[in-house]
Amino acid sequence: MKAGKLRFSKPNKYWVESSQKRYVPHAGDSVLGIVVDSKADIGTLLYVWVVKVNPSMNPELSCTDASRKAAEFGQLKGGYMFESSTGLSRMLLSSPTCPVLDALGKKLSFETAVGLNGRIWVNASSPSTVIVVANAIMNSESLSGVQQRIMVEKLIQNLKLST
Amino acid sequence: METRLANIWRLTVNEKKFIETALQSDLRIDGRRPFDFRNISIKFSREEGSAEVQLGQTHVMAFVTAQLTQPYKDRPNEGTLSMFTEFSPMADPSFEPGRPSEAAVELGRVIDRGLRESRAVDTESLCVLSGKSVWAVRVDLHILDNGGNLVDAANIAALAALLTFRRPECSLGGEDGQQVIVHPPEVREPLPLIIHHLPIAVTFAFFSNESTVVVDPTHYEEAVMGGRMTATLNANNDICAIQKAGGEGVLQSVIMQCLRIAGQKAYDITTKIKNAVESYNTERALRKIKRHPSSVALDISGAGVNIGKNQNKPVPQKGDSERSNLTSEKSVADQSMDIEGEAKSSEQQQTNKIDGDAKNFIGGPSSWDPYPAGVNSDFLKASLASHGITMPSRKEQDSRGENMSGEAKPVEPPEDINVSSSNIEASETVLRTNGEKTLKDAVKPKNKRKMKSSSTSGR
Repeated sequence: MKAGKLRFSKPNKYWVESSQKRYVPHAGDSVLGIVVDSKADIGTLLYVWVVKVNPSMNPELSCTDASRKAAEFGQLKGGYMFESSTGLSRMLLSSPTCPVLDALGKKLSFETAVGLNGRIWVNASSPSTVIVVANAIMNSESLSGVQQRIMVEKLIQNLKLST
Repeated sequence: METRLANIWRLTVNEKKFIETALQSDLRIDGRRPFDFRNISIKFSREEGSAEVQLGQTHVMAFVTAQLTQPYKDRPNEGTLSMFTEFSPMADPSFEPGRPSEAAVELGRVIDRGLRESRAVDTESLCVLSGKSVWAVRVDLHILDNGGNLVDAANIAALAALLTFRRPECSLGGEDGQQVIVHPPEVREPLPLIIHHLPIAVTFAFFSNESTVVVDPTHYEEAVMGGRMTATLNANNDICAIQKAGGEGVLQSVIMQCLRIAGQKAYDITTKIKNAVESYNTERALRKIKRHPSSVALDISGAGVNIGKNQNKPVPQKGDSERSNLTSEKSVADQSMDIEGEAKSSEQQQTNKIDGDAKNFIGGPSSWDPYPAGVNSDFLKASLASHGITMPSRKEQDSRGENMSGEAKPVEPPEDINVSSSNIEASETVLRTNGEKTLKDAVKPKNKRKMKSSSTSGR
């Protein structure tokens, strides 16, 4: 049993949301993985789908989701990846769009892949954009929606000033 | 086995390429410029000689302890300084408990060399009895979190801990003057180490494309870099040590540029360390004051200053109840100090004082000796009276007796405070009529009133 915030959604759904760095695999999650052992590709970043989880074995992953090969899964090229907590990943994936991504999206163009194991990948045309987006996301976990927007505005202003 | 693999941090090809690409446009992943240091925060704990330094995400603690030991045969007049590093497994998944790894040993060596070769810590002052007994100072460095650049952070922690460390004072005694007596801190104020200058380590990371250099690499940058160099300098731009262990080859011009940058950084960091130590010392003085409200401060100045000349401002307000409780002891203390002031004009004593005069308290560690001419036992008794509010008089006598054995000149201690106060009062009136301003005038009138009842008064 883990500690966390109690969440409620109508009409009768309650759950406890916790956030930590260690990820416990769960079938149906999309995660970001790094190849550790293979003939050639050690260090490659992959966006994959968890198919089956057994307590004593490594989980089974796949690059196709439930129906067919989705264009997003597979190797991610370029960009920058960083690690954070599971709670942050869930917040970034929630709908409606989380405020930090929303505020960033209005001013900058970038793409992200969020793994529920706490890993986040960001790619954009220029390195400075990537750095701003990555830092904004990293800082946003404990901030409320309004605070997130304020922080994003400040970061973007600094970016515009320096370029 | 799988969990082991899962716990090791891996670098993706994406990250490596991105960090290098960003560096070509002078951008680092945390938004710093190539020659920016991260934020340094230095904290101290209640125990003297321990410091905790945070450099961004890197977290290091240093502890300084000292022990009496035999000196090395070829250096009978010098104390020793030794460094021990511990890379805690909670700092990084690749740190294993047990034997120090190669990186741990290298870190210890770099910091040790910076302090020892440059003679930053004065080891000759650590000698107590030549050839027999010296102080061995030991610095323990604990790495708590590895966010990159452990050497610089550990160096700052070691310096901060050494600056705030106080060792017990000891003197020679016994029948033949060969016995070393260590005085506990309640009896005699412990002394700081003599540190001549602060060698600061600045680490540079080199990357595979031409002359990309950054200062203070983070964990990610360290995994991607091609080579590193640590330069240890002090604020006067003297180079104390340089360490470049393997890695990529670097042009000579790049090295010279790095040394120039390191000089500036060393100056900044030295100022930061000094400020942190100063505010810690002030805070510690304030804490001491609250514990011993009856202490009165004297000015610390260079040798030879007459205490009568330097008059302190009156002691500020303290809790009334406190004062009334301690009045009798305080009056004794003040009076004894008066005698002290008159009798030994060249002697300086530093007790602690609040607020405004706390600034005077900051004497540099290298020039401050509270007992340059030895200590008078009368004076000691007075300070004991002020310090040991809950100490019974017998304990005082015991410690006085103990101090006696350490003293060169035999002075007869009075039996108890009452007797002494009458003695002192008699002499005090003599002093009073001198007209010369003494410490008595620094005491608030309220105290004087209570004392006046027991002696003749005159201003």
